Amino acid sequence: MGTLERIQVEIENRSLTGGGWASGNSRRAGIETTCYALMALHDRRSITRARGIDLLFRTQNADGSWPAFVGDDPDGCWTTALVAIALRFLGAPTAPIEKSIRWLLGNKGREGHWFWKWKFRTVDRAVQFNPDKYGWPWFPDTVSWVIPTAFSVIALEQFTLCCRTEPMNRIQLGKDMLRDRSCPQGGWNAGNGIVFESALIPHIDTTAIALLALTDARDAVASEGLNWLRRTCMDCPSAYSLAWSAIAFTMHQDPAFTDCIENLNDRLSTRNAGANIEALSLAAIALKSAEDNENPFVVI
Amino acid sequence: MNRRDWFVASGAATGSALTMMRLQRRKYARDLRRKRSRVAILHVEQYSGKLDELVYDGLRPFDLNVRGKAVLLKPNIVEYIPGKPVNTDTQLIGAAAEAFLRLDAASVTVGEAPGHHRDTSLLLYKTGLSEQLVPRKIAFVDLNRDELIKTKLQANYSGLDHLWLPRTVLASDFIVSMPKVKTHHWTGVTLSMKNMFGIVPGSRYGWPKNVLHWAGIHECVLDICATIHPHFVIADGIVGMEGDGPLNGTAKDLHTILLSDDPVAADFILARLLGAEPNSVMHIQEASRFLGNRQGVVL
Repeated sequence: MGTLERIQVEIENRSLTGGGWASGNSRRAGIETTCYALMALHDRRSITRARGIDLLFRTQNADGSWPAFVGDDPDGCWTTALVAIALRFLGAPTAPIEKSIRWLLGNKGREGHWFWKWKFRTVDRAVQFNPDKYGWPWFPDTVSWVIPTAFSVIALEQFTLCCRTEPMNRIQLGKDMLRDRSCPQGGWNAGNGIVFESALIPHIDTTAIALLALTDARDAVASEGLNWLRRTCMDCPSAYSLAWSAIAFTMHQDPAFTDCIENLNDRLSTRNAGANIEALSLAAIALKSAEDNENPFVVI
Repeated sequence: MNRRDWFVASGAATGSALTMMRLQRRKYARDLRRKRSRVAILHVEQYSGKLDELVYDGLRPFDLNVRGKAVLLKPNIVEYIPGKPVNTDTQLIGAAAEAFLRLDAASVTVGEAPGHHRDTSLLLYKTGLSEQLVPRKIAFVDLNRDELIKTKLQANYSGLDHLWLPRTVLASDFIVSMPKVKTHHWTGVTLSMKNMFGIVPGSRYGWPKNVLHWAGIHECVLDICATIHPHFVIADGIVGMEGDGPLNGTAKDLHTILLSDDPVAADFILARLLGAEPNSVMHIQEASRFLGNRQGVVL
């Protein structure tokens, strides 16, 4: 049994009886965790995969959004974009995805409202960013952050096959926001790159996820991010961050992909048993994309 | 000022007045103040292997009853920035874990929900916390990804009514807040009560916990501490931080570890240590009405 198959079996073994996968030591299915696990089991025809997809259908809120976990308040959150990406990748029916896309289009970072733009321009200037460039928040009624914006941009791009104006505007605005928030040395921290006039240090996972949304080879900000990721991820001991890096390198057809996968394989051989579901699932996605170019975040 | 700015300014002024009026009303369910609070201030020159003995000796006069209890240490592990003392020192965390085991705690767990980092295992590696915990066989729980329980708040400053809180926190018998002593751009200081902000999971409130920022940091700190009241404080002020905390300040040698059975008494002393007036920090001042005392007996 190869590494990929071994990981997939491990993921299947860790599924919950009620469907889906839980994060950490939780017994409730987490929507983010379930999405990664399902992406990792894309080519498997197991009962756990079917139960996982069923769980996603069951947990969609009436407004089209998804909660953070099973039993959560029905407010909806950033996982909505991730579910849309996962369901499309799994070839699920499009009706729930369409509903989620409508919810995504109605949701935006608070700095997208004129009042908060005014506040960030005049009163609250500790963080340096352009409030005209906004994306998506983790949870409604808060400001934009890099990861939810990147996933929302990908979900909209994947779904927007024809050139409808509104999604295209939001996609462009989301990409502009990502470029605006990049760190001076390249890459991305959670939100702004500069706070209190100090440059923040980028994070590997956030940088890799932002790079999934910015795939234009001529994009200078994406190039700087890729350079930073190449320099940083090689001595990274975390399977989770390495897997995200490998997925981003594949998307950009970057040669660093080979070393990154090798490093990931080393980590998995020593730490597989202790790795959490998120890390295992992302590793499987990375290995799968290495094998046959199947990448859930690609916009076709 | 144009007409729109004038409307906004008027609205903000009215909002501030209404907020002040709301704050006058009692907003907490229980008065948790002790009859007598105790504090110990240890002078410590630097981080070293001697912390194990220092912390254990410092705890003994408190005569804490932790025998057979599940102890949770909640340090402040927010981000890794080389050269900046933004986190509770890992040697101190290890020493505290060792001390509670020597005091016959049934278990000692370290729990934290890092505010910015989603890759907690990488953060543990970079900060050196893994090196402290693994040899001592102390478990770490990533509170960002723990099982969540809907919990009614025992105060109503934020208007949030309830929070989804980690099972590990709710199931602990004895919670120790272990802040890094720092100034904070938004709240003035970040000490033992503000440190409890870090029990709130990113999986439900974002990385960072932006839902709580918008509900008001001071207000959320009060609601959280009224609901999950830390039983003890071990504050890392050997090297503190001043300036634009929690991330961008500069190191400040304070040479202090503060121990206390009252987070409010601890924060009053620690704020002054940083040169801040505790009564000017909204959550500390308000907490002295129901979460603890302004002063403690110094052991």
